[in-house]
Amino acid sequence: MVLRRLLRKRWVLGVVFGLSLIYFLTNTLKQEERTIRDRTLLEARDPDHRIPWKVRFNLGNSSRPITQCRNSIQGKSLLTDELGYVCERKDLLVNGCCNVNALSSRQYICKSCLANGCCNIYEYCVSCCLQPDKQLLLEHFLNRAADGFQNLFTAVEDHFELCLAKCRTSSQSVQHENTYRNPQAKYCYGESPPELLPI
Amino acid sequence: MYKNLRDCQIKPMELFQLYLYLSPQMAMPHINLLTWNLPQLEAQMPWRYLTITMFSPLSTEYIVAFNGYFTAKARSHFISSALKSSEALDWRIVPRKNPASDFPSDFEVVQIRQASHSSLLTLEDHPYIKRVTPQRKVFRTLNYTPDLPDPGATCNNDTRWTQKWQSWQSSRPLRRTSLSLAFGFWHATGRHSSRRLLRAIPRHVAQILQADVLWQMGYTGSGVKVAVFDTGLSEKHPHFKNVKERTNWTNEKTLDDGLGHGTFVAGVIASMRECQGFAPDSELHIFRVFTNNQVSYTSWFLDAFNYAILKKIDVLNLSIGGPDFMDHPFVDKVWELTANRVIMVSAIGNDGPLYGTLNNPADQMDVIGVGGIDFEDNIARFSSRGMTTWELPGGYGRVKPDIVTYGSGVRGSGMKEGCRSLSGTSVASPVVAGAVTLLVSTVLNRELVNPASMKQALIASARRLPGVNMFEQGHGKLDLIRAYQILNSYKPQASLSPSYIDLTECPYMWPYCSQPIYYGGMPTIVNVTILNGMGVTGRILDKPIWQPYLPQNGDHIDVAVSYSPVLWPWAGYLAVSISVAKKAASWEGIAQGHVMVTVASPAGNNVGGEMTSTVKLPVKVKIVPTPPRSKRVLWDQYHNLRYPPGYFPRDNLRMKNDPLDWNGDHIHTNFRDMYQHLRSMGYFVEVLGAPITCFDASQYGTFMMVDSEEEYFPEEITKLRRDIDKGLSLIVFSDWYNTSVMRKVKFYDENTRQWWMPDTGGANVPALNDLISVWGMAFSDGLYEGDFTMADHDMYYASGCSIAKFPEDGIVIAKTLKDQGLEVLKQETAVVEGVPILGMYQTPSEGGGRIALYGDSNCIDDSHRQKDCFWLLDALLQYTSYSMTPPSLIHSNSRVTPPTGTDRPLPERLEGNHLYRYSKVLEAHLGDPKPRPLPACPHLSWSKPQPLNETAPRCVRPMVS
Repeated sequence: MVLRRLLRKRWVLGVVFGLSLIYFLTNTLKQEERTIRDRTLLEARDPDHRIPWKVRFNLGNSSRPITQCRNSIQGKSLLTDELGYVCERKDLLVNGCCNVNALSSRQYICKSCLANGCCNIYEYCVSCCLQPDKQLLLEHFLNRAADGFQNLFTAVEDHFELCLAKCRTSSQSVQHENTYRNPQAKYCYGESPPELLPI
Repeated sequence: MYKNLRDCQIKPMELFQLYLYLSPQMAMPHINLLTWNLPQLEAQMPWRYLTITMFSPLSTEYIVAFNGYFTAKARSHFISSALKSSEALDWRIVPRKNPASDFPSDFEVVQIRQASHSSLLTLEDHPYIKRVTPQRKVFRTLNYTPDLPDPGATCNNDTRWTQKWQSWQSSRPLRRTSLSLAFGFWHATGRHSSRRLLRAIPRHVAQILQADVLWQMGYTGSGVKVAVFDTGLSEKHPHFKNVKERTNWTNEKTLDDGLGHGTFVAGVIASMRECQGFAPDSELHIFRVFTNNQVSYTSWFLDAFNYAILKKIDVLNLSIGGPDFMDHPFVDKVWELTANRVIMVSAIGNDGPLYGTLNNPADQMDVIGVGGIDFEDNIARFSSRGMTTWELPGGYGRVKPDIVTYGSGVRGSGMKEGCRSLSGTSVASPVVAGAVTLLVSTVLNRELVNPASMKQALIASARRLPGVNMFEQGHGKLDLIRAYQILNSYKPQASLSPSYIDLTECPYMWPYCSQPIYYGGMPTIVNVTILNGMGVTGRILDKPIWQPYLPQNGDHIDVAVSYSPVLWPWAGYLAVSISVAKKAASWEGIAQGHVMVTVASPAGNNVGGEMTSTVKLPVKVKIVPTPPRSKRVLWDQYHNLRYPPGYFPRDNLRMKNDPLDWNGDHIHTNFRDMYQHLRSMGYFVEVLGAPITCFDASQYGTFMMVDSEEEYFPEEITKLRRDIDKGLSLIVFSDWYNTSVMRKVKFYDENTRQWWMPDTGGANVPALNDLISVWGMAFSDGLYEGDFTMADHDMYYASGCSIAKFPEDGIVIAKTLKDQGLEVLKQETAVVEGVPILGMYQTPSEGGGRIALYGDSNCIDDSHRQKDCFWLLDALLQYTSYSMTPPSLIHSNSRVTPPTGTDRPLPERLEGNHLYRYSKVLEAHLGDPKPRPLPACPHLSWSKPQPLNETAPRCVRPMVS
């Protein structure tokens, strides 16, 4: 009885509410704490905030003598090197570059790519994306990249890494989580996601 | 807070529950109860008590161990009744005050003054008392660090946590789940020994696996980037010294672990103090991909995986899994990761002991799939097992898990500090991931380390567990030191998993060893995985060669081999089909030979050059003369569909936590018990993975169709009719199909963010009716449930249909059941009398076969089975194969006049169902879907044998260099 009467007192309710509020606020604020090292997806951001990308584009067909190439590593039969050449695995040189004299080697090739910037084959997507004239498109994309891509695209250092990362399938590539939007053209260097095909 | 958590996590399923499960008592089925009980059992383990109760006997105190778990009251009752006979004993029960004392226990401490030997014997005579041993006093010999949390308390915390996790996991079968904490219980084999209790003493898994040997050599994982994809990690956790980066991929604004799962996993890999991890100096990359509500989406994973590739992660632990291997974006992404040299380690799943429960991505060839064992080397009960089901119905599953390691009661980092102990394949996976990280750091030439070579080293060094088959243990138990030795003398090469085929070796090669092969049988398929350590891509050079050993009758078998055109990434399949040659039709004996495969990969150091590696796959089989027709049963696999990709609901609607039929419906997955039973009865069971038009019916006594979801080609219907006229018999175990109920069991799946509507019922009754209508038979759209007795056997009808129509000269048995359809739709209970559930019929043509129908498949299915009805299957097989009508059924008073099917319309296919998307028979069409053209029957091209006139090597198992 006493307890019930006590609970009806306005100041008691006030204290209970106040304590709850404090608890709520401290917990919420605690979550806000971050260290510089830690990155998170969904920071509150002003609309014209841009992800701090730092991609270095090497303009034009670089004439610097390259001794070692990075390449796209993963391909079943094709590879793209950082100069934009696509070649078959057998035509890869020991230094990781495509043998430019080999029949299969082609530079900046957009085979299997559609007008919307989505391709059927990953290696061609990367090669197409490495075309010097794609730089504007990529910069535009970086400036408007969705929050979800912040981690990825702030860590990318140059044009080649950007194309490797951009052409991969991502959260933009799926519908209903477990199906590709377009299984035939899922690797996109362009801004828009793959065209949505009905299941 | 937990309550809150739970409220949000179960929401979509609650819809589902609401539709289906009205009375909570009834909704608690046996299996479910078990899963809820097990965590409790864990709490019963009196940890704290036992760590203080060893050594140095106390003269008057005795531990009385019981045969089972009883409440305090019952225990006291047993002791007093046992001691009643021995007069004048002064005894009392020593009270135990610990959190476990609220739960049933299997022992009691009793103080007896002046106990004589005889009084102890009288105690032991009691039927519920197992043993009486003197109580011993404690010396703290264990080296406890003072800031360790009280083991007893840990135990209790874990329990609550276990339940929480378990409840979530089972309610979310669609979602890729985090595989912690199954009902991790110590004794998978049910062995009861007092030693079991000792195992409660915390064990350091890194030391048990002798990681300290490598630590002393100076290897501690330094320079290896290891990624933990889990629930996050708090920033200032005292156990970690080298957390390189934490990233969040969820929609929650935190990087911290609110569950403890991710912290634990990270601790097993890299903790540097208290409960030590394997690789304390490794570079930890924490990816938070699960929210505190254990929500996660494929799209989060895709983005996080891309980041892991960019960061050139070396080892990635995924203590998660789910049934959806048809999630192409996810599966492709995992391939992409390993193709980029990320060594993926993943938990095989917590859905054991049922077969056919392997989880993705651990079931992928390029991933190291890890199962769990306890500290006594028993396969942990929860560990998922059975072959992969991707290859069904035409092929045969691969062997998984790859290896097993400790996953029960392993100690790892607590959420904020300290240590805790957890169970689950989620725990076993980081044990391997930690070991792999440590192993990578021991290799000087890192170029040699890749997902394939690491897996090769692990499986070649694994220690095989005795008495366990390969679909439970894979290659055996992780042996860190041997793996270190193999890895450090590794030369790039190809290898096979399993590395030999010995169909006579039991139990390791179960189920192959459980049934010899014979002429005319369906070819036995062994699906071998080729691991290629030479490069991410490779191919098989020329054709694999079959070399029978003539002195060992190798020419008595024919072998056909099919294989991946390209081995990418790092792996491919080699499916070996074995058949008996005609000349051995009445021969009995062992035949041997080997298949030789050469794998080629582009060489990195030589333009246009290739590395090659040749492997031999020894083959040994047992041949028997072809059994008589009546002993041969053919199982229809072709018409069994399952999740993924479509929504095929469970056959038992009470199983609210597991709404999908996803175990493959194969005799070696969830119909394993039935298969074992049929074998023990002397039947030979074969599997038909092709249309009904593709088998020679004169070879078989009975064709079994159980729980079929697929449609039928018109040609199949005609063929079956002809076969039965000529003496083949048919047994059909059907299941429910009611369009109103199907509409009601739709649910919103948060994982795919869409509504899920079933594409069939438990079985596809309208299609089955098309098949059997020619004999004047049909199943109804009724939905019944309930207990009954048939021929003195207790039976349970779990969501089955009834027989709507049966020939008037047939035998029909009816029972009183509950109308579950009404219960689901209107929440009303109604009992229906005289529901026809079993029908037996002799076709009229000369020498014609017999047909038996039963309306429910749950009693022969291992998943969620409550009461088996193998006796009924025996009786039906006696009827179909030998024409012996079971007297217990025919003279039963449940026999009724066969229904004529006139009182209510037969079930129609659910309008707008999407079965055609997943069907091998239907294709989309304007209006209704139409059958496709009948596909050609599978054709094997037998390898041209290249006989060897040499004796087989004595040891079939090749040694790995």
